[in-house]
Amino acid sequence: MLVLLFILFAGLAIGCAIALVAQRNPLYSAISLIGVFISLACLYVTLAAPFIAAVQVIVYAGAIMVLVVFVIMLLNVEQEERRRRSRLGFLVPAAVVLAAILVAEATFIIWFVDRSPVKPVNSISDTGLTSSIGSALFTKYLLPFEITSILLLMAIVGAMTLARRIKETPPGAAVLPGTQVLPLRLFDPNLPLSDTRAAEAHSTEEAAEMLGVSDERDPSERD
Amino acid sequence: MDWATILDIVLKFVAITIVFTVVLLMVAYTVLAERRVLAFIQGRLGPNRVGYGGALQPFADLLKFILKEDIVPDKSTRFIYFLAPVIATMAALMTMIVYPFGPETSIPFIGTIPLSVARFDVALLYVLGVTSVGVYGIMLAGWSSNNKYSLMGGLRSSAQMISYELALGLSLIGVILLAGTLDLQKIVEMQSAWHGFRWSIFLQPLGFIIYLIAAIAETNRVPFDLPEAETELVAGFHTEYSAMKFALFFLAEYINMFTVSMLATTLFLGGWNVPFAEDLFGRGTFLFGLVGVIGFLLKVIFFLFLYIWLRGTLPRFRFDQLMNFGWKFLLPVALLNIFLTATILMFFT
Repeated sequence: MLVLLFILFAGLAIGCAIALVAQRNPLYSAISLIGVFISLACLYVTLAAPFIAAVQVIVYAGAIMVLVVFVIMLLNVEQEERRRRSRLGFLVPAAVVLAAILVAEATFIIWFVDRSPVKPVNSISDTGLTSSIGSALFTKYLLPFEITSILLLMAIVGAMTLARRIKETPPGAAVLPGTQVLPLRLFDPNLPLSDTRAAEAHSTEEAAEMLGVSDERDPSERD
Repeated sequence: MDWATILDIVLKFVAITIVFTVVLLMVAYTVLAERRVLAFIQGRLGPNRVGYGGALQPFADLLKFILKEDIVPDKSTRFIYFLAPVIATMAALMTMIVYPFGPETSIPFIGTIPLSVARFDVALLYVLGVTSVGVYGIMLAGWSSNNKYSLMGGLRSSAQMISYELALGLSLIGVILLAGTLDLQKIVEMQSAWHGFRWSIFLQPLGFIIYLIAAIAETNRVPFDLPEAETELVAGFHTEYSAMKFALFFLAEYINMFTVSMLATTLFLGGWNVPFAEDLFGRGTFLFGLVGVIGFLLKVIFFLFLYIWLRGTLPRFRFDQLMNFGWKFLLPVALLNIFLTATILMFFT
């Protein structure tokens, strides 16, 4: 029974992984990656580690991949072009070497496990349960756990600092719906494009007045 | 495999079939109830012609959905377009198996059985995980339809779900702290004290309110129905869907309403605990089980009515209001709730 489940989910994981690399459409690749994560979660369940399985689905399949798919959809990335000579061609030898190392590693593990003394796993073992993972994290591994959280916090703060846009409008001045947000170049071609001051106005004349620019356009162009 | 295992698997299949049938029937009648209650709120009568008081309307609707022409947009991404409603419905249905619908009950001729399909250590995390996968149904539907309104709906839905999932998850931590487990059955049993009245809502009122708001946002219902927003986005992510595929999205939305209502009942309203039922019938008897199941379903129906009520009375959020409310209000309050609960547990127990 467990062997059948293992074959099913391992096969699914490998199939999805191959699809992930082979697909040309980035969204298909992302969906294949979700498939890999979910198959791995199922494998964790068969290994009596339900907590890791649930966290795998929530964190990777449910949160991170949603963001990845979100970005792909937002940028509307088209199908990747097929180039005859890839710019990354020089990496092919490196890939071969890494694959050889991976195969060697796998062989070593199989060889090693084959020769190690058999130690039966206690079937009612509770190492994979939430309570045991929790108590281990908050007692034995408290310091690494806290350091990891600080690391993640730093990443969040860093991302927010980098992504924050410096506001041109004075604080408290929100752009209301129905407001016209126009580039200043529309009024004066000599102004830089980067100037994106906004005004709470309901007509172009009003906006021009509030921003202190004169409307330099032809009367015929005006709205 | 021995016979006991096979029998066990067969029994599980029977249990899943029963649960799915009951839930789908209740969903059908929730749709009818929604249409009629909304009609009463708006001073109309609603569908009352098919069957007694409209009782056969859901089946007429189903027949219509099956017989309608299935239109596939020419420039859609075929495979994902077909996959999206399947993901949405499947993820919605998958959570049904962990809820304890009633206590362990002795049923004549069968013996003592637990009234839930499956019981495992991380049931609560399982529910959160499966519902978070359900977002893909909406996102992929929006993307694959190749329609700007659908895409906007899909993008809005993913942004909204990610924002409110945090508050939803954090609001549950108070209950988890009180119970000390993620097993739904144990959480319900913890609430049987005080003659079946130790419901978590009395100990976690703040957590309950945050959960309720975040759950409505998670299910894309009014006032958080921005992914559909028929006045701005036609029908949002399912603009291009017709016939049975549309029906699947419809079904998924209502099953999700059920899921969050059941979770609210299980975690905050005591699940199958009916006050004084244990004193009257005694634990484990058939009557106790029956009263428990009926109590559970009534509590769920209360939440479903709340959903319909909100839809009839509240206008829709604007997108920036939605984001500000989720990130700047709901999330800090949820964190405060965790902090308060942990402090009280630390010093007073």
